[in-house]
Amino acid sequence: MAEFLQSIVKRSPWIYRINAGSCNGCDVEMATTALIPRYDVERLGCRYCGSPKHADIVLISGPVTAVVREKVLRVYDEIPNPKVVVAVGICPISGGVFRESYSIASQLDAYIPVDVNVPGCPPRPQAIIDGIAMAIEIWRKKF
Amino acid sequence: MNIADFLVNALLFPGGLFAVLLGLFLTGLDRKIYARLQRRVGPPIYQPCIDVVKLSQKEMVIPKTANYTAFRLAPLLGFAGMLAATAIIPVAGIYSGLYQSGDLLVVLYLLSAPALALVIGASASGSPYSSIGLSREISIMLAYEVPLLLVFFTIAMRVGMALGGTAIFSLSSIVNFQLSHGSLLFDVTLLPAFVAFLICIPGTLGVVPFDIPEAETEITEGPLLEYSGMGLAMFKLTGGLKMLVLAALTVALFFPVGFGDFWLVNLVWFIFKCILVMFFTTTLIRAMQARMRIDQAYKFYLLVPTALALVSLVLTATSFRVG
Repeated sequence: MAEFLQSIVKRSPWIYRINAGSCNGCDVEMATTALIPRYDVERLGCRYCGSPKHADIVLISGPVTAVVREKVLRVYDEIPNPKVVVAVGICPISGGVFRESYSIASQLDAYIPVDVNVPGCPPRPQAIIDGIAMAIEIWRKKF
Repeated sequence: MNIADFLVNALLFPGGLFAVLLGLFLTGLDRKIYARLQRRVGPPIYQPCIDVVKLSQKEMVIPKTANYTAFRLAPLLGFAGMLAATAIIPVAGIYSGLYQSGDLLVVLYLLSAPALALVIGASASGSPYSSIGLSREISIMLAYEVPLLLVFFTIAMRVGMALGGTAIFSLSSIVNFQLSHGSLLFDVTLLPAFVAFLICIPGTLGVVPFDIPEAETEITEGPLLEYSGMGLAMFKLTGGLKMLVLAALTVALFFPVGFGDFWLVNLVWFIFKCILVMFFTTTLIRAMQARMRIDQAYKFYLLVPTALALVSLVLTATSFRVG
């Protein structure tokens, strides 16, 4: 029964983006992967949602600056379980070009359990889609 | 009508289970055709069913600021209202409706149940985005209810006068009249009313040119913002049912005539007509238009469909006085 449920559920992952102080490069790449017809991820059942309460897979970009950290944690707590976090770009993974900046305390996985890392500055659309596919596999096992 | 018939009609067919599945099918078909119009592959037709199953398995987060009871019960209110409407609307050749008189007015009231459910749920959630969404929902509801009421009244008057009396607010009488006298769609005086009714459908459904209350890019899905899990699944089911109710109502009011007496042929023909209504009022317009502002939508509804419905009303009233 759980197997059957997982096979149904994995075809409806809804995606939510959090910008944690990103330069917008990764955000543009994320928007193009799901929103332009060329890479049409809606055929996999994916959908961008506007509200964190509807989300299953969270894409976080940016180096988690000191100002935005509390807000990111609050939005993360609002996302209903089961959920999966994908760190997009090099910034949330290690700080990237902003590493050792005065405004960055630590990388993302010091605050939130990160399931998939997608490095790059910015990552290619194919890499982001691959990261989402890996995230779906992790996510369905949580049901 | 005995109680067994009532239970079957309200819970299995045409209300209840059948209506829920057909509503989800219509939503899925809408998303598929929409994707094909943009030259995408698109999700499978059964995608809304998957979404509902997934949402029912998710946690339901209830905000600390929310009024617990109202927040939990609001999705049920909209769902129940739409379910009742599906049991009332007759399907020509298959099902003759639950009541024999006055059900047109009942349907008009039930049509506002999902919007009211959104308003109650949004105001109970205590989120500022939801309150912006609910004020927009109320404004657009006030605007589209006027032409909707005028269209209903025009049809009731047309049928009632043709039968030599006053206005008849009974869906089954309207359907039976058309079965013996031909569809009202081919009546020139009712053509403006038909167009007005079609224009009201996207506003009632809240799809793209008129999805101002739920604009996900500006107020992050508005009234639905705080809903998750089962509550959101109920709202998704209600959305599918609403599409079915409006399509079935269009068919019942304007072109219910089927083929012969065999129920299967009539059922397929009915579903085909529902898909046709959905395609021209929802999918095509959604693919072609961008979102309006709330003041533009409000003015649009109070000008264009209202004027069209009034033209029809006047034409109907005068044609019978002369003839």
